Amino acid sequence: MYRGKNITKIRELLDKKVITKEEVFEKATSLAHYFQDEYNSFVTILDKVKIKDSDSLLSGIPYALKDNFSTRGILTTASSNILKDYVPVYDATVYKKLKKAGATLVGKTVLDELAMGGTGTTAHTGVVRNPWDKERMIGGSSAGSAACVALGIVPFAIGSDTGDSVRKPAGFGGIVGFKPTYGRISRYGLFAFASSLDHVAICSRNVRDAALVTDILKGQDPLDMVTLKSENVKYVDTLNDDIKGKKLFYIKEVCGKDFYKDTNDLVLKKVITTFHDMLDKCRDKGFIIEEVSIDMDLLTALYPAYMCISCAEATSNNANLTGIQFGPRGVGNTIEEIIFNARTEGFSELIKRRFVLGSYILQKENQEKLYLNACRVRRLIVDKITELFEEYDGMIAPCSGGVAPTFDSRSEKLSARYLILENHMVMGNFGGFPSITIPYTMIDKLPVGLNITGRVKDDALILNIAQKIEELTGLKDIYAKVGEIDV
Amino acid sequence: MIDKEKLEEYASKLMFKMKDEEYKTLQEEFEIILKQMELIGKIPNIEKVEPMTFPFKNTDVNLREDEILDYLTVGEVLENTKHQIDDQVKVPKVVDEDV
Repeated sequence: MYRGKNITKIRELLDKKVITKEEVFEKATSLAHYFQDEYNSFVTILDKVKIKDSDSLLSGIPYALKDNFSTRGILTTASSNILKDYVPVYDATVYKKLKKAGATLVGKTVLDELAMGGTGTTAHTGVVRNPWDKERMIGGSSAGSAACVALGIVPFAIGSDTGDSVRKPAGFGGIVGFKPTYGRISRYGLFAFASSLDHVAICSRNVRDAALVTDILKGQDPLDMVTLKSENVKYVDTLNDDIKGKKLFYIKEVCGKDFYKDTNDLVLKKVITTFHDMLDKCRDKGFIIEEVSIDMDLLTALYPAYMCISCAEATSNNANLTGIQFGPRGVGNTIEEIIFNARTEGFSELIKRRFVLGSYILQKENQEKLYLNACRVRRLIVDKITELFEEYDGMIAPCSGGVAPTFDSRSEKLSARYLILENHMVMGNFGGFPSITIPYTMIDKLPVGLNITGRVKDDALILNIAQKIEELTGLKDIYAKVGEIDV
Repeated sequence: MIDKEKLEEYASKLMFKMKDEEYKTLQEEFEIILKQMELIGKIPNIEKVEPMTFPFKNTDVNLREDEILDYLTVGEVLENTKHQIDDQVKVPKVVDEDV
């Protein structure tokens, strides 16, 4: 009755008084508890909620929030030992807005520690499992947010996206992941990872719900100076606009039909074939889709440039984690000893490695060759894509070259496939472009996503295009029907 | 390969310690990332490109007035530390007695 319903359907049940807001919340939390041991979506599941009266469409709709958004009085750990006891004293703007709309927070979701990672395996409370196959990753860093939506626990969840941290797990989880234009949604109260790349993003089970939630969250915020002025448009009202003649491109070196023809990887072959079948369906619907080519050297530089920029920014952003003002304090006789011990105990190995990398990149003698060159690659890529957006309305590609990886899989980090196909969505962060992932096919009973990215501030058009393609997939509103619970 | 001493120096600047085996993984990781970064160096005329540090030119930015606002009370600030004395966060002595 409740599980797996989207926002519109829960709204109907509430408006027709078939179910009360309290009952909806109770059902959502019972599902959260039921799946917790097996899938580990949550750091904290809330037992009580004060439901605010509101005439918003989100009134009484349960949701989950990634555990790197500040929530007053509610434990917020960023899935790191260094913040394992941290209870914030202020609310993130996103949380404030959802509270005002009357949406009910079910829980705070697990992430890769401090949002730095793409696997969902590095949280201080353990790995997050993929609802479609629990021997596989859901991906990260917004692992718990994607998993709880894919399990049908809540109709939407909030995450953050610095490289592809919502759009990648959305792809592996068979759900929608939408990262609006940089600055569209305030980041006040989101723990900063790499400020020039960080975005608030949304997990939902259909494009309309993603638009609806974005409508509530968007707008300028004096507490986040990069936020954009509010538009007098509701994205949800523009979803039905005609898309006939809209032009999309795909990059040959990312997903060209013949580009992987010599591969022995059967799943990759299926991804490419099914993707091109979907493009044909889109053409039948009225889209114009063309292949473009971009310099391979530039594309292979995407991921290392991302690593340099993000690690460098993360190193300084996380310098406030000392255990002095908040978080567990280390032992020692001097302030240096205390901070040393708090940071040694509090950060996992992976985080330390990323920080050392960031610090190395920022050293005076390395800045030119590493940090500034990475920023130069960023400009070349963004300029190239922006130039293409003068002719085209959007870029389309599969989210990944495969289905969700198993926990023991290893990627060959120097291969062209790893550097390009597995990491191309970072272009959306480099340029702040609106970017959305939707499921488009199932391979071996596992969902595979495609991604559409568009011009800066063209969020409405990207949602509009995504909804039209969603109609062709037959995968709208899917979730993993696992477990024996009927609520 | 970057030597371990250099990496220890960076970790020390960042105020944490790492284990020997962790340095080994870090050295391997550095090998990969530096090889990947070499690819960037090969892009023709890369040095002539202006580095990009922000996604796009945002014309919406309005600087707010520099007003004094009360965000947190002393009580709220103290909620997150177990170490307090009177209404202050207690920290160890930072000035050496001999100084």
